[in-house]
Amino acid sequence: MATPMVSVKTYVTVLAVLVALTVLTVTVSFLPLAEGWHIGAGLTIAVAKASLVVLFFMHAIHSPRVTWCVIVMSIAWLLILFSLTLADFMTRSIVPFMPGH
Amino acid sequence: MTLKDALFTPDEQERLFDHTFLQRELLEEQYATLEQQHETAAFGMWVFLATEVMFFGTLFVTVAVYRSLAPQAVETASTHLNWLIGGINTIVLLVSSLMMALAIHSAKLGDQRRVYRFLLATAALGLLFLCLKGVEYYLDYVEYLIPGWRFDKDKWLAPKNAGGDGLSSDQVGFVQIFLLLYWTMTGLHALHVTIGIGAVLTMAVLTSRGHFSAAYYTPVDVTGLYWHFVDLVWIFLLPTLYLLGTHSFHTL
Repeated sequence: MATPMVSVKTYVTVLAVLVALTVLTVTVSFLPLAEGWHIGAGLTIAVAKASLVVLFFMHAIHSPRVTWCVIVMSIAWLLILFSLTLADFMTRSIVPFMPGH
Repeated sequence: MTLKDALFTPDEQERLFDHTFLQRELLEEQYATLEQQHETAAFGMWVFLATEVMFFGTLFVTVAVYRSLAPQAVETASTHLNWLIGGINTIVLLVSSLMMALAIHSAKLGDQRRVYRFLLATAALGLLFLCLKGVEYYLDYVEYLIPGWRFDKDKWLAPKNAGGDGLSSDQVGFVQIFLLLYWTMTGLHALHVTIGIGAVLTMAVLTSRGHFSAAYYTPVDVTGLYWHFVDLVWIFLLPTLYLLGTHSFHTL
């Protein structure tokens, strides 16, 4: 099977970047940031790391379009889950609960 | 003359059908080529992983909800978790993912000896992860971080100048829920790691028995996708559980 391949050098470079980002994300947790910035920074770095793992280790970069459909759809469903659930909880103090309506 | 004989030369038959696991034919009859079969199998694993995204997603959204309801309590509880073991374990899983990627790289080249070694390295690092997780769970037990069984309410209620966390009793309720989520999420993740180790070792045994070749290594590739996914979940567990608050070195 003639499959396109990621070189060993690329794999090792990706790992080095992933380890560096892990050290960075733990270091950021020691900075006295305002509320909400820690999770913001942590999740941004996590998304960057996850993209590297999906693209290179899971070789999505050389995968057929149908695989990309699954990746995009799973992210979309996750965003629906998050946005609708949080839209409820984060507006409960704004919108009064009216029993019977 | 069988259909098999009509479609393939004896040489191709030996390559495709013989010496396979359980004498099963390598190319299932519904596929035109091995490549098509490989893509279909990988697609099936990706779809399964999409359902796993939703499975873990519900737990992540629960953390997000409780963090938005009681930010201070959840951030305080987060700083009590062991960021050092959590961080080291992240690196352990990342290296194991590299080993898995190299195993598949070798599988594409048909270097079975290397596939075997890299698979064993992957499983060994997975086992190391579980051992470190066990040490961490023990330390959580020592530090009274198990709600409902070993939990010291007074320590969280005591004012900060008395060595406590200065939380209200409402907030301690949220601390307990956050810790419960910590145990649930890391526990379910550890279960996935355990299943992954089993799958990787199975692939190692099949490799050593000569079931794979450069033409056929689909099960190794699909197992690799699962293993990388387990790594992905941990990449998101680290910031959502361990890194929510501000750490200082004396809280280690």
